[in-house]
Amino acid sequence: MYEVRFHGRGGQGAVMAAQALAEAAVIEDKYAIAFPFFGAERRGAPVLAFTRIHDQKIYSRTQVYTPDCVVVLDDTLLDTVDITHGIKENGIAVINSTKKPEEIELGRKIRTAAVEATSIALELLKAPITNTAILGAFSRATGIVGIDSVEKAIMSRFGEKLGEVAGRKNAGAARMAYDRTETGMSSGGKEHAIRKQWLPEYRELPVGGVLGARTTDAGLIGPGSFIENKTGEWATFRPVRDRNRCTMCLACWFDCPEGCIIRIDNGKDLRTDYGYCKGCGICANECPVDAITMMRL
Amino acid sequence: MKKVITGDHSVAYGAKLARAEVVAAYPITPQTLIVEHIAEFVSDGEMDAKFMPMESEHSVMSATIAAQAAGARTFTATASQGLAFMHEMLYVAAPLRLPIVMVNVNRTIAYPVGIWCEYNDSMAERDSGWLQVYIENNQEALDMVIQGYMIAEDRRVLLPVMPCMDGFVLSHTVEPVELPAQEDVDVFLPGYEPVYSLDPDNPAVAGSFMPPEYIMEMRRQTMDAVEASKKVIPEVGKKFASRFGRDYGGLVEEIGTEGADVVLMTMGTVTSTAREVIAEFRGRVGLVKLRFYRPFPSDEIRDLGSRFRAIGVFDRSLSYTGGGPVFEEVKAALYGYSDIPVINHLAGLGGRDVTAQEIRKMCELTLRAADGERVSRVNWHATRGVPV
Ligand code: SF4
Ligand code: SF4
Repeated sequence: MYEVRFHGRGGQGAVMAAQALAEAAVIEDKYAIAFPFFGAERRGAPVLAFTRIHDQKIYSRTQVYTPDCVVVLDDTLLDTVDITHGIKENGIAVINSTKKPEEIELGRKIRTAAVEATSIALELLKAPITNTAILGAFSRATGIVGIDSVEKAIMSRFGEKLGEVAGRKNAGAARMAYDRTETGMSSGGKEHAIRKQWLPEYRELPVGGVLGARTTDAGLIGPGSFIENKTGEWATFRPVRDRNRCTMCLACWFDCPEGCIIRIDNGKDLRTDYGYCKGCGICANECPVDAITMMRL
Repeated sequence: MKKVITGDHSVAYGAKLARAEVVAAYPITPQTLIVEHIAEFVSDGEMDAKFMPMESEHSVMSATIAAQAAGARTFTATASQGLAFMHEMLYVAAPLRLPIVMVNVNRTIAYPVGIWCEYNDSMAERDSGWLQVYIENNQEALDMVIQGYMIAEDRRVLLPVMPCMDGFVLSHTVEPVELPAQEDVDVFLPGYEPVYSLDPDNPAVAGSFMPPEYIMEMRRQTMDAVEASKKVIPEVGKKFASRFGRDYGGLVEEIGTEGADVVLMTMGTVTSTAREVIAEFRGRVGLVKLRFYRPFPSDEIRDLGSRFRAIGVFDRSLSYTGGGPVFEEVKAALYGYSDIPVINHLAGLGGRDVTAQEIRKMCELTLRAADGERVSRVNWHATRGVPV
């Protein structure tokens, strides 16, 4: 049995990647299952997805705890999550990164494949959606599924959803990533500030689970805890507003789904709180005078 | 003061005497009179409460939860489809630990459409975390609204309580009811002191999303509260009895069980008729009134299992397991403790009158089972085409 854990963020398509990988394995006459684990369902929150591949029918329905491979769609996750956690001794990490494997610092020194999936996606798909490109890298680095099967699986899953042209472009992204993947050893020893979780015993839970703001050994919880929990730290793009063009029509302020555009100076000016900006680009899209440009980070 | 009033009227007096502060409601037969009487009390200035006529029962329970969470003592009432429409909100109230009191006037749940008494409305909510007590007469209806708050608001419990009352047989039947004096009720049931209350100046998250890491613990918290109520219910009953002179027993009440061979377990108004019928059996049949269905009195039932040679169980609802829900739970409670015969008596579904003749038959069948005769485990009483 071969087990894969995908690390991504909500909206990046980790779940679709896990499913397409399962389909590629099935194309090669194997048995496979793929499933998501969602935390809070919102764009930008860390997301896990899993794929299991085997020669025979798979019965295990638990999450994957000791993966043979971890796939990382977003290297901003490397700072907060130890993606090597539980990985088998001879396991491999497949990471979307602009760095060479040797330059990537992980919790442990392990076999690592790196590919610039975001650049490939921007070039071919015009969007930083890296879930198809990364599968090409997976195929190259592990040989568990062939690139032809990956392309077929992408055509089938993505083509069905987005149309044939988009399906072919996504398959092309996988092929390009396959060609550009570099494999080596990561460096190890990266320290992760272990994000503690508040896990009280049942008698310590407040009555009715009704929670006021409080500080625990896991930090702030309850109302106001997002003061510490910066949800914008994963953004690929950042909106930059040209003050000279801006007419202060407030369309961006109204439409930002994160509420992170703030009126300042008695409503005469705007400020974007990048701590919570996801870089979704809605503000730039909605601005009637094109005063906002999205800058690649 | 003694008044000759319906069960619905009696319940309305209970809510008034308990000084419920917010009453959100939606009328449904046979609960309608409760809501009408409370509306009258409020508009006549006799009851100092916010009365909120709502657009649906779902909204009723939502508003009640919100008002209780904001720190008010709330009351409401419903029946049948109305209770079913609240279903999802009932599951919010209990784990949020809100001591709401809501009377359910038992009415069959469609289909077939009917307005008469059956327990398939309230028993379908047995896993919601609400405590349920089944009422025998109009006096007990009033008294259990008041005791309901005492039980619900006890810091060891903090759970919503649902007194369940037979539609029409009580709701629309007049009989004498002793109205306690307001001063006495005020001493027995002081003002509501919430454990938490929502306050914009002191924000808290209530009723929120929780990932799997917390839900086992949350369920366990609610389970402990239900267990704790087993101790609180008899305590409150004793306290009430010493102030008002009426003692209903704890989770169950035993009637003429001393020296009996078998017992018949009944609920609601059928208990009253059965009190007269068992006298004919000259001590061989005792009566057990199952008052609380939640918490389920497993210990009391095990005790019955060790003292009697058979238990007959009346059910006014069907589980489609073949028998009724009370029958299934009595057997489950006895499992591993006793292997005496447990005989199910289904009767009165859809509000069909449960006659003395049927109750007599229940007693006889239970006795025959105790004497070693092969008796059907589930008996459909007075059902055309089904031999008993
Ligand atoms: S990109 Fe614009 S709309 Fe999107 S989160 Fe950032 S500020 Fe808001
Ligand atoms: S939408 Fe464009 S013009 Fe309007 S306030 Fe925002 S930046 Fe300015």
